[in-house]
Amino acid sequence: MSDGKPPLDGVRVLAQGIVWAGPFATMILADLGAEVIEVESIQHLNPTRTNMRHIPDVVMQGIGGSYYVNRDGSEGFWDRQAWFNYAKRGCKSVTLDLGSETGRELFYELARHADAFLENNAAGVVETLGVDWDTLHRVNPRLVMVRFPGFGISGPYAHHKGYGTNMEAIAGHTMVRGYRDSDASTTPASLHGDPNAGAHVAWAIQAALLARERTGQGQLVEIAQAEAVTHHVAYDLLDYAMNGRETGQRGNTHPAFAPYGVFRCAGDDRWIALSVPSDAAFVSLCGVLGQPALAHDERFATGAARLRNRDAIDALVAAATPAHDAQALATQLQAAGVPAAPLAHQQELHEDPHLRARGFFSPITHPAAGTHLYPGPLAKLERTGRVPPFTPAPTLGQHNAYVLKELLGISAERYDQLVAAQAIGQAYLESATA
Amino acid sequence: MTGPLDGWRVLDLTQGIAGPYATKLCADYGADVIKIERPGLGDVARRIGPFPGDDPHPERSGMHLHLNSGKRSVTLDLKTATGRALLLQLATRADLVVESFRAGTLERLDLAPERFAEANPATALVRISNYGQTGLQRDWDADDLLIYAACGILQVTGEPDREPVGIGLYAPLFLAGGIAAAHALGAMRAAHRDRQPEVVDVSLQEALAGSMDRGGPNLVSFQYTGTLMVERRERILISALPNGVFPAADGYIQVTTQTNWFDRFCRVIGKLEWITDPRMTSNLNDTLTIGAEIEAAFYEWLLPRTKQQAMEEAQAEGWPLSALNTPADVFRDPHFAARNFFQRVEHPLGGSVTLPGIAVHFGDTPGELRRAPMLGEHNVEVLGELGYAPREVAALRAQGAI
Repeated sequence: MSDGKPPLDGVRVLAQGIVWAGPFATMILADLGAEVIEVESIQHLNPTRTNMRHIPDVVMQGIGGSYYVNRDGSEGFWDRQAWFNYAKRGCKSVTLDLGSETGRELFYELARHADAFLENNAAGVVETLGVDWDTLHRVNPRLVMVRFPGFGISGPYAHHKGYGTNMEAIAGHTMVRGYRDSDASTTPASLHGDPNAGAHVAWAIQAALLARERTGQGQLVEIAQAEAVTHHVAYDLLDYAMNGRETGQRGNTHPAFAPYGVFRCAGDDRWIALSVPSDAAFVSLCGVLGQPALAHDERFATGAARLRNRDAIDALVAAATPAHDAQALATQLQAAGVPAAPLAHQQELHEDPHLRARGFFSPITHPAAGTHLYPGPLAKLERTGRVPPFTPAPTLGQHNAYVLKELLGISAERYDQLVAAQAIGQAYLESATA
Repeated sequence: MTGPLDGWRVLDLTQGIAGPYATKLCADYGADVIKIERPGLGDVARRIGPFPGDDPHPERSGMHLHLNSGKRSVTLDLKTATGRALLLQLATRADLVVESFRAGTLERLDLAPERFAEANPATALVRISNYGQTGLQRDWDADDLLIYAACGILQVTGEPDREPVGIGLYAPLFLAGGIAAAHALGAMRAAHRDRQPEVVDVSLQEALAGSMDRGGPNLVSFQYTGTLMVERRERILISALPNGVFPAADGYIQVTTQTNWFDRFCRVIGKLEWITDPRMTSNLNDTLTIGAEIEAAFYEWLLPRTKQQAMEEAQAEGWPLSALNTPADVFRDPHFAARNFFQRVEHPLGGSVTLPGIAVHFGDTPGELRRAPMLGEHNVEVLGELGYAPREVAALRAQGAI
């Protein structure tokens, strides 16, 4: 279907975005057609690929191995990593040792050929490496630089270390989700703020490039992940600002609707999520569950009454749903005008008839990882969108020759010297550290 | 220049959360966003709340005031021919049109994508819907919890022996809105560059299913190993050191302690002698041998401290420990305060509201948070820009078209 050049055709993005937020941003940018070059090195491990030069077998057999093809820890395992190969599809990889004079000079040369540089290294790293905004702006005044550390580059927490869990903690997100009847220590960990930051980075680079068309200048863009997540907590923040109220952990409850939530169905770990936003929907629900009398119970006659008796009505629904198949019940409820969805199992999502009909999963053949189904892209652009088969994620340093020789024009001799001196390469040095 | 998107024009047919968040990113950062609302009722966000004093009022809903900041509101009844004609007139001037009707609604209104392409071939049309514009479930109704169930991530969120638990009221829709916004800018760029239309199908289910952290990576991990990376499973003690949520004197803290940060942990809790004690350092992964001792010392340090004190002491040593802010804490948090993040916005009917502010800081083109519009506030102004005299606008109002 796609007949046009992709939206970001001709846009070159350099990336040092680690773990979740950075790769999510570059996935969207590459899907939109940007040439994304992941700037890695053989001296330092890319944490999106691995934290360890060798992965001990005990780790490989546990959670830490669940994202390497066949839990195979043999040499080159970093090219067979699920998150990296998922999010870096369509990207390129170059290895440069930014800690060395040569690597830094080559990076500056690369920056002269680039439109944007995104990074979320720990505070102070870009300054130490000499790839800070002031320097890069002198090197290439048209370059856009996006920095997205957890707490931003100014303010009392700018130096704070943390993961997505820490940003969500400060944003107030952790304290308003999780089980309603438990304390916060049972609230499941999430890194919800990471993809949110990544989407904003992908958006911000494009916005800054549009601005550049008028100003001719690049600019520095800063995103504090913790600030971006506060928007997701807006309802509870505004309720406090307006009414001084703190509801606490909401679990699966809704402030306006009951019954509401996730209810057990027949089978192993099968559940249905449902919502009753109107009296008509409630009558329908009672009918489908085979409990028409409930619709006439005065405790549940109106939306306000159901909210007052939320626990009672939720318990009655929870008692009725286990007799039903989740998929069949959701289909019945949707037909009766009650919003519902069976809980999708991620192990089965690639076989989901709806997603199959839409072609959401497609196979990618990766030179090191083999052929697997991958989800995406996240949105379908009819005319200029990319269509399968997608270009696989790069192996470490796969595009060294392209970047250094073709793009930067260094000689074959110099390239061979860099390889011989182990300045660049396609495998981590034995001494490589995180 | 006020924002990076100065000069771009957006026609916003969305309502609720995801679509309006995507167009809020346009409005706060300089684009002229014209929000089309149903006469009388307007955006459903006007009815969501929260409301001051729990007293519902369409101009005082917190979610509306937050999500529709900086937009101009025009009421159009798209069920009337006049309303549709006015909409397409506005579309001739738009670079981007965003809609979040139920799939197929535009077609039923005789406003199929071709109509927008005829009005202006250089326009991108972004269509945000629960399950996409095609497929077996395209007509299914959903909300934030239901779509989170359908995307697969809810399954891996929560305790193993009980129901999966959502990620917070409306949070999935905010995330999906940001994802939609990133694709919308790409589509707008392509339509403008090629002088040819572009249509984008955003399925909230797919946008979330493929998202990091536990979406796409979990799906691909399963393809690679037959197991998920993250599941609803029993908590696993990854070492003898504290990881997770713990109680402090006035609430909770979140902490991560990698074993190679043992020295930081010891310095903060005042157990310097442990740093060189082989009984400790050789057993950091052994919860049975030293776990209880470590835990006792950790609690002895943590319980008398406020979460803010604990965070400051820990972070000074590079140990990632953060306070679990409640909503009240967020407003008095010194970091947000120092960065002037929250902003007070005056609204003629909504009063003075404190809103989360600008989260993307453009060095040269910062953008600004402006108040949300009242329903139909800009009818005369916007239709005036199309050449309608105030008298003609009054006639349209009398017809019920606006």
